[in-house]
Amino acid sequence: MKKWIFIAITIIVTPFAAFAQSLADRVIEHTLSNGLRILMVERHQVPTISFQIMYRVGGVNEVNGNTGIAHLYEHMAFKGTEKIGTTNYAEEKKILAKIEEINNNIIQEKRKGIHADDKRLSALEAQREKRQEEARQYVIPNELAEIYDRNGAVGFNASTGKDFTNYIVSFPANRLPLWIAMESDRMAHPVMREFYKERDVVMEERRRSVETNPGGKLYETFLATAFAAHPYGNPTLGWPSDEQNLSATQTAEFFKIYYGPSNTVISMVGDFKADEVIPQLEEAFGKIPSAPIPPRVITEEPPQRGEKRAEVEDEANARLMIGYHKPNLHHADDAVFDVIDSLLSMGRTARLYKKLVIEKKIAVSVSSRSGTPGARFSNLFTFSATPRAPHTTQESEAAIYEEIERLISEGPTKEELQKVITNMDASLIRSLRSNSGLASQLAYFETVAGDWRYTLRNRDAIAKVTAEDVKRVARTYFKKKNRTVVTLVQTESPLIVQGGSP
Amino acid sequence: MKIKRIKKHIPLLALFGIVLFLLPPMAARAGGMSSGDDPRTMTFDPIVFQPPKAERRILSNGMIVYLMEDHELPLIDLQITIRTGDIYEPANKIGLASLTGSVMRSGGNRSHSSEKLDEILDQIAARMSVGIGSTSGSASLNTLKKDFDFGLKLLTETLIFPVFEEDKLNIAKNRALEGIRRRNDRASGIATREFFKQLYGTDNPYARESTVETINAITRDDLIAFHQKYFVPNNMMLGVTGDFDLDEMIKKLEKTFAGWEKKPVDFPKVATVSERKKGAVYKINKAISQTQVRIGHLGIKQDNPDFYALSIMNDILGAGGLTSRLFQDIRTRQGLAYSVGSAFRPGKLERGFFLAYGATRAEKTLQAMTTIIQHIGEIREGLVSDEELKRAKEAFLNSFIFSFSSPAQIVGRQISLEYYGLPGDFLEQYRANVEKVTKDDILRVAKKYLHPDRLIVVAVGDESLFDKPLSALGQVEEIVLTP
Repeated sequence: MKKWIFIAITIIVTPFAAFAQSLADRVIEHTLSNGLRILMVERHQVPTISFQIMYRVGGVNEVNGNTGIAHLYEHMAFKGTEKIGTTNYAEEKKILAKIEEINNNIIQEKRKGIHADDKRLSALEAQREKRQEEARQYVIPNELAEIYDRNGAVGFNASTGKDFTNYIVSFPANRLPLWIAMESDRMAHPVMREFYKERDVVMEERRRSVETNPGGKLYETFLATAFAAHPYGNPTLGWPSDEQNLSATQTAEFFKIYYGPSNTVISMVGDFKADEVIPQLEEAFGKIPSAPIPPRVITEEPPQRGEKRAEVEDEANARLMIGYHKPNLHHADDAVFDVIDSLLSMGRTARLYKKLVIEKKIAVSVSSRSGTPGARFSNLFTFSATPRAPHTTQESEAAIYEEIERLISEGPTKEELQKVITNMDASLIRSLRSNSGLASQLAYFETVAGDWRYTLRNRDAIAKVTAEDVKRVARTYFKKKNRTVVTLVQTESPLIVQGGSP
Repeated sequence: MKIKRIKKHIPLLALFGIVLFLLPPMAARAGGMSSGDDPRTMTFDPIVFQPPKAERRILSNGMIVYLMEDHELPLIDLQITIRTGDIYEPANKIGLASLTGSVMRSGGNRSHSSEKLDEILDQIAARMSVGIGSTSGSASLNTLKKDFDFGLKLLTETLIFPVFEEDKLNIAKNRALEGIRRRNDRASGIATREFFKQLYGTDNPYARESTVETINAITRDDLIAFHQKYFVPNNMMLGVTGDFDLDEMIKKLEKTFAGWEKKPVDFPKVATVSERKKGAVYKINKAISQTQVRIGHLGIKQDNPDFYALSIMNDILGAGGLTSRLFQDIRTRQGLAYSVGSAFRPGKLERGFFLAYGATRAEKTLQAMTTIIQHIGEIREGLVSDEELKRAKEAFLNSFIFSFSSPAQIVGRQISLEYYGLPGDFLEQYRANVEKVTKDDILRVAKKYLHPDRLIVVAVGDESLFDKPLSALGQVEEIVLTP
């Protein structure tokens, strides 16, 4: 048996290298004159195409007062354009302007603080509501989605993270011209239609994924505790008070700043011919005027001055999150963190699972992650654990620290390091099985790392990581002073469950 | 069998971001298009595509095998379906089927201790799983091509000779108990679970739940017996896709499973569900800002010929993404919910269900619930519009191609169809039948299969904040949660 495993390990590097080369050969890159990046891979097995449009904008581009705006814009991107979603844009536009006028009066009134006139505010809100009703006569609700649906779109959706916003859809291959026409229009002529209703929808989203979700509450508090200055500490859904005060005007301005072509990556994978498609993309997307480079995120998280601890009280059962500050994905140590993450969390033989779940039996799940909540800027290496009663979060926390100590004193074995790279290669190959998987990998690394090849370079960097690197990085970063610990604490235990061996 | 909007892989990025909306759960070249660049008026020829077919064989020990080659990546995928399920476990040992599946995988086999097995699989980056759900069991293996023979050997040992190490069983049982302890942590989970308990009956195999007592009653011998009863070659189907040669693969499988003998399986009788003739309203108190709502009743079995019209009806009512009536009204127009929609899911062995769901701020609970109920009524009252029918049919027909996105998907579907006794060309029939659905059909099936007078209504939330008392919907019964 031993011999067999040895053979398996030595062979693997070669097929991966060949695979990586063949992938690199297949990615066709093109940059439009306005700066828009396009990545394409032809794959002709099935007549479908998966598309991604990724913008280098997300929660990290927000500041106190406008948190949640990137995500709210993402919702607005489904409301149509000056052409789609309206029966008469010229008339609709006039009413939308009036709505903004009223909303601006609301903002002005609120600025008076304690002298604000509540009666006037409710009157203004009623006016805004009335105008919204008036605007509805011109709206064809969700027309964009309807056109896509009718044409066989699959997976039509979008997501907003800290580092990026991503719009995805797959189509039967012959709908390519439809996608081009629609998306170039969407990129150039968005309309803040039904804005204030959609803001309500987003508030419901927040209630669903944060306020009534113990895991969401824990995560939001964890980030807000770990980051005192950097915008990674703000929730992507926004703080409720910010969210409730965002205006359509403000959101349209945010779009203008961050949705320019040079801040955009398109990736498409599937059944098309790149040399036929490129002129069509040039024609439709090339017309969009270039925009200035968006403001950079200036704020840096200052070094932490001591351990931070916080609690979230809830009816739900206990959970734990721990984080250590670490540099971003361009730092040489980032690959070492990837290795540490794999050693600790990948598969059933991962160190944390073996120690906390199998040996000590104090948790039902435990994991780590490098790059919480984003990768473009200095971020966190995090640990999460779900303890098993009667065992506590304190016990899980202590066991995680023991594993960190072991990493520092012993480091990984050669076999462990080999296992990391073997699995890394395999999961990279697996992630490319679907068109949408490949398209999202390409767009993500192009957007966040500035080059889709990062994924291949990072793989090589990981292969070079030594046991000494792991020990050094663990020793350097996993310090108490650099740590944030947040626990979900059960305030009352309405339901008592007996049984189970301690 | 959900054919539209297939979510085969959760995209990597879904893990990082917040998505716009949630769902419930050989090539021919592109055809011609009309001139002009207005997305509203563009038309396209139908896609001409002959999807590849899976090869079906039967091994000498009775095992049914589906195969399809796919040489793009150096991977081989194997998927197995076993005729079993938790509907067959005894009522005093609820949780047995699930534990049997998970400890088959985690508890080692004849030739490898659990520790050794995990170590080997991680070293070759292979993925192996075993699990047992409600009406079927499954096992899978995914390896790099060069490791397949070895991986297959490991999987075979696990399927035929699992050891169920006592320590791993204890870990799995403790995990189940912790799950029970945490099952009321989220309102959405409570609402769905209590809805199904009311729908099928608390003791019905399709809704009953494990308890501390049923988990503690389960022993290693129970797992051994459950495994021996169901894991026989004539009781399973195997699918394999990836980078291999078909004839060689068949020889390999024949040889691998040669010593495994056929054995008849005697399935316990499963209690059938009885329909509740009257609707009911249930409330579960929880001090939260958003109410979770579930509304519905029993549905149909998959072989019902009205399934096609019902699936289009349901798309129009609440399942068609952003364009369904429930989404358009409750989310887009009124801004009352982020998550809202409906499912009309046919059952495979037992009757399925109709379910409308939503989550709305406490202060608007009754407004949202009343609107949902109103839409259920309205679609029974009048014909849907031409546009609605056209959109729903075209959405289905034009996305049909995505049912053939990968060989693993095609093979998995063929196995599932055969497993549930559906015709091998079910999908083609589905397509042909959807093309024929008319507005009258939709009205007819809505009248026949939607029952506003039998709605089971479940609300989890803080009634003191509601816009109106729940009793506005009928007599309210409170469910007090117990572990």
